[in-house]
Amino acid sequence: MKFTLNIWRQKGPDERGRLVTYEARDVSSGMSFLEMLDSVNQGLIAKGEEPVAFEQDCREGICGSCSLVINGIPHGPDRGITTCQLYMRRFPDGAVITIEPWRARAFPIIKDLVVDRRALDRIMQAGGYISVHTGGAVDGNVLLISKDQAETAMDAAACIGCGACVAACKNASPALFVGAKVSHLALLPQGKPERTSRVKAMLEAVDREGFGSCGNQNECEAVCPKRISVRFIATLNREYLWSGVVESGLPAEPESPHAESA
Amino acid sequence: MMKLDSKIPPGPLETKWDRRRFSEKLVSPNNKRKITVIVVGTGLAGASAASTLGQLGYQVECFCFQDSPRRAHSIAAQGGINAAKNYQDDGDSVGRLFYDTIKGGDFRSREANVYRLAQVSTQIIDQCVALGIPFAREYGGQLANRSFGGVQVSRTFYCRGQTGQQLLLGAYSALCWQVEQGQVTMRPRTEMLDLVMVDGQARGIVVRDLVTGRVSIHTAHAVVLATGGYSNVYYLSTNASGSNVTATYRAWKQGAAFANPCFTQIHPTAIPPGDASQAKLTLMSESLRNDGRLWVPKMARDHRPPEDIPAAERDYFLERRYPRFGNLAPRDIASRAVKAVCDEDRGVGPGGYGVYLDFADVVAQQGFDVVRERYGNLFDMYQRITGEDACHAPMRIYPAPHYTMGGLWVDYNLMSTIPGLFVIGEANFADHGANRLGASSLMQGLADGYFILPYTIGHYLATAKLISIDEDHRESRAALQRVTSRVSRLLNVRGRRTAASFHREVGRLLWNHCGMSRNEEGLKSTLTSIPALREEFWRNVMVPGLGEAFNQELEYAGRVADYLEFAELLCHDALHREESCGAHFREEYQTAEGEPQRDDSRFAHVAVWEYREGTSPILHKEPLAFEFVQPTTRSYQ
Amino acid sequence: MALPSNHFRSSVGSKVVMALSGLGLVIYVILHMLGNLQVFQGSHAFNGYAVFLRDMPILLWTARIGLLSLAAFHIVLAIQLTLRNRHARPVAYAVREYRQASFSSRTMAASGFVLLFFIIFHLFHLTADMIDPSSVDRLDVEGHRDVYGKLVHAFQNPFIMALYLAGQLGLGLHLNHAVTSSLQTLGFEYVAFNRLFKAAGPTVALVVVLGNVAIILAVFLGIVHG
Repeated sequence: MKFTLNIWRQKGPDERGRLVTYEARDVSSGMSFLEMLDSVNQGLIAKGEEPVAFEQDCREGICGSCSLVINGIPHGPDRGITTCQLYMRRFPDGAVITIEPWRARAFPIIKDLVVDRRALDRIMQAGGYISVHTGGAVDGNVLLISKDQAETAMDAAACIGCGACVAACKNASPALFVGAKVSHLALLPQGKPERTSRVKAMLEAVDREGFGSCGNQNECEAVCPKRISVRFIATLNREYLWSGVVESGLPAEPESPHAESA
Repeated sequence: MMKLDSKIPPGPLETKWDRRRFSEKLVSPNNKRKITVIVVGTGLAGASAASTLGQLGYQVECFCFQDSPRRAHSIAAQGGINAAKNYQDDGDSVGRLFYDTIKGGDFRSREANVYRLAQVSTQIIDQCVALGIPFAREYGGQLANRSFGGVQVSRTFYCRGQTGQQLLLGAYSALCWQVEQGQVTMRPRTEMLDLVMVDGQARGIVVRDLVTGRVSIHTAHAVVLATGGYSNVYYLSTNASGSNVTATYRAWKQGAAFANPCFTQIHPTAIPPGDASQAKLTLMSESLRNDGRLWVPKMARDHRPPEDIPAAERDYFLERRYPRFGNLAPRDIASRAVKAVCDEDRGVGPGGYGVYLDFADVVAQQGFDVVRERYGNLFDMYQRITGEDACHAPMRIYPAPHYTMGGLWVDYNLMSTIPGLFVIGEANFADHGANRLGASSLMQGLADGYFILPYTIGHYLATAKLISIDEDHRESRAALQRVTSRVSRLLNVRGRRTAASFHREVGRLLWNHCGMSRNEEGLKSTLTSIPALREEFWRNVMVPGLGEAFNQELEYAGRVADYLEFAELLCHDALHREESCGAHFREEYQTAEGEPQRDDSRFAHVAVWEYREGTSPILHKEPLAFEFVQPTTRSYQ
Repeated sequence: MALPSNHFRSSVGSKVVMALSGLGLVIYVILHMLGNLQVFQGSHAFNGYAVFLRDMPILLWTARIGLLSLAAFHIVLAIQLTLRNRHARPVAYAVREYRQASFSSRTMAASGFVLLFFIIFHLFHLTADMIDPSSVDRLDVEGHRDVYGKLVHAFQNPFIMALYLAGQLGLGLHLNHAVTSSLQTLGFEYVAFNRLFKAAGPTVALVVVLGNVAIILAVFLGIVHG
């Protein structure tokens, strides 16, 4: 098989990028999309040229490294998979394929198709955890969690943090990513103590990072390799609204300063 | 001369760890704040250790080469995590988990370590639940278990087929908390390229910032390596393409001993390699062997399509050779049997690298829908990769390198032979012996990171004499110099071959001669081929681009250069071990029926290799004494 | 339960205010349509309805000011959020394909603008009588203001009718996404009702637009006449 590739090349974060056309020859239909790029790169290296930079690691759809917008859709034409799980038999011979990076202000381009997604880590650092010390946890069966609840939490927790939701969103919003994390922890009893502070802190971080806001277009759901449902965005919004009503740490000071004698 | 002191506490097995914890010195809270610990790698072991050390009050600097700590390859583990909770009341106990693990490892691991692992396994589950990991539950709300890896009890906890992902995200969230608290400084996209040694102690690392290409020194009071295994030395493996041996190999060159490198696990059920361009082997869950039957044609070079081969001309080789376990024989045994039939030219698919895994019988018995429901997602995955529908034609599978039991040698306190250098998770050699059982790697990674290292490192920090140093120290500068000169050397070869072509070649050599079965002749010939290949690499590799820039090809070439040296160590170890045990099968040492023959009189030891510049590595032996269990023959016939 | 004001300055908070103000306007639009359907009952009923409204000046002006401020909130926040969203993606994709996002969801800003201009026109036209010089403010036989006659006169003009139909197109597109989207923003999510929430937008849009268009076309086609 043979393909014409229009690939975004950009030397660095502050350089101007452009689409450059390459020919991929002798591609077999059993090659994965990334192996096809590997072979293009091997040709470039042999000529002493700089290969196209792109991200990948596990190549089995779970690490969330790979991040290509293929013909205008993050992770390419198939649903429910990552770029690394896409195979060339999916494309007709001779097809023209345009490959671009995730595009968002919060994801500055490092080089070519590689973007900096640390903004997602910073959102997690703002509150995407349960503050529990190692050791001293009670027996796992002390907390009974219904099967349905555990399954729904798992549906949310399946997020791989690839950022395709941001890439697909017209507004570059990470609502699905944040919604998945907030819902996962809010659905479980272990996550309840920090429920209100968590959602506020994480959404503040979203605004700080320069992401856009959710337009409820559900494009994120359609490209999510783990098929995370947009209902978790509704849960996120509900958690946020609720956090404005219920303050987790109301000050419990005595009315009169003299109530307690020194 | 290297001194191996395993520092195992004497006395009864059950109380060794308790007594060690009590006898350890502690660091006072005030002093912890002044102590910096470097953690390299953010998989289960690294992330859990970094977070726990941060919680204890140490200043932690944590490094990973990925763009985010959440992407470490622990994330890809599917099956589950073992713990001796005995929630099912089916006869499990700490003692039984200990025995299963040590027997599964073919009696090539330390009793004390394995017993401790079984002991802390129960705490791991509690900790993970507290972190919000959505383990599978029963309808009554209790934690669910399944039986995994051919053991007789149900002790495996799981989150669908994504247990590794959920456990890693739990450890990652704990890490995020400590970053937010200011206890951990996270440095993603940095690769450790050397170790800084001062006065014989590990005092820092040299890293390359993968974005800017800048090489810099980070000093600390102790260094923890949690950098995973080296299956990628075989080129094709189930590991992530970034997984590499560089950190542990560089530490080896600085004096940390390497133990049992030849113990590499080959997993039987991966999708076979397609064409030469293939860069990765994808694992299919072992659960497929519950219902699928493995077979090959009886006749060599039989190229008929599978449906045209009548039942009488098929060889169900696992059922024939191991009638008691049949298709469920353990990983090492199944893998070797697959290789044996492929070596007889009876393999199927491209290049003859594959055997059929056939669901026709179970479909006939239980119906198409039942099978589809049970394995639907795996069939989809298979179809996506191969373009074939496993419901109508048998799947093809082939073994793939998956996990490495060998690693840097550590004592009971998880410290290597270099004082101050601790090694945890898959990167060390400790607990799995010659073969790892399913659902045990997650257990070991988290045991090391959450519950063992945080104790033992404290004792070292409380007792070691550590001078104050900085980046300008003579040894730091020397380490920096080693790294920068190597980087520029790689860039200046300007040859004609890509790093990948060398990697593929060394991988092919190892796969053929130091893979599922090994023999003296093959190993010796490989030991002569590797130096020649390495010599060509340094003469003819092409690394484009600059050093002080984002340069993925430079990263990769550096890793390949280390594989080309490490491969030799692997072969030396395989050559020295003149017995067959666990994953290590020497053709000269087998029974008349082709079963492995272990030699406890000569090889009941850990093979510990010391680096010596300019000569072959030097072998030391740590004898394995079995006080509490009696080594038996693993038989599955 | 005092809601801290900065809770609503975040992007999600702004969206909540937009959703609430939008839903307020939606309720008004539905009532407006239902009230105007009385045109089918003839001039007596319709002019009586107008009198009924005018007889409560305090309520009328409260409602008018309320509606204006809702609209103002809605528009200001819409502009703010849109600017923020544009900023969030400085370099556009060379090739872009949508898989699931509906046409109406992708044209909210455009349909919002159409709607805004239409409403301004509508207010000048039928509320303030400043557009059509041929329209006259007469009294009907009962001595009430002949709002019915004014409406009939207006929609007999094909140009005006076309403008109003265009306005309804904008309204329909906007509501189609807006209602469901608002429910999502307000966190309405419950497995048993999710299909209902999804259907709410298209249903409301269809009902309102059909009602309004029926009035416009009935006049133009002479079914309702003076």
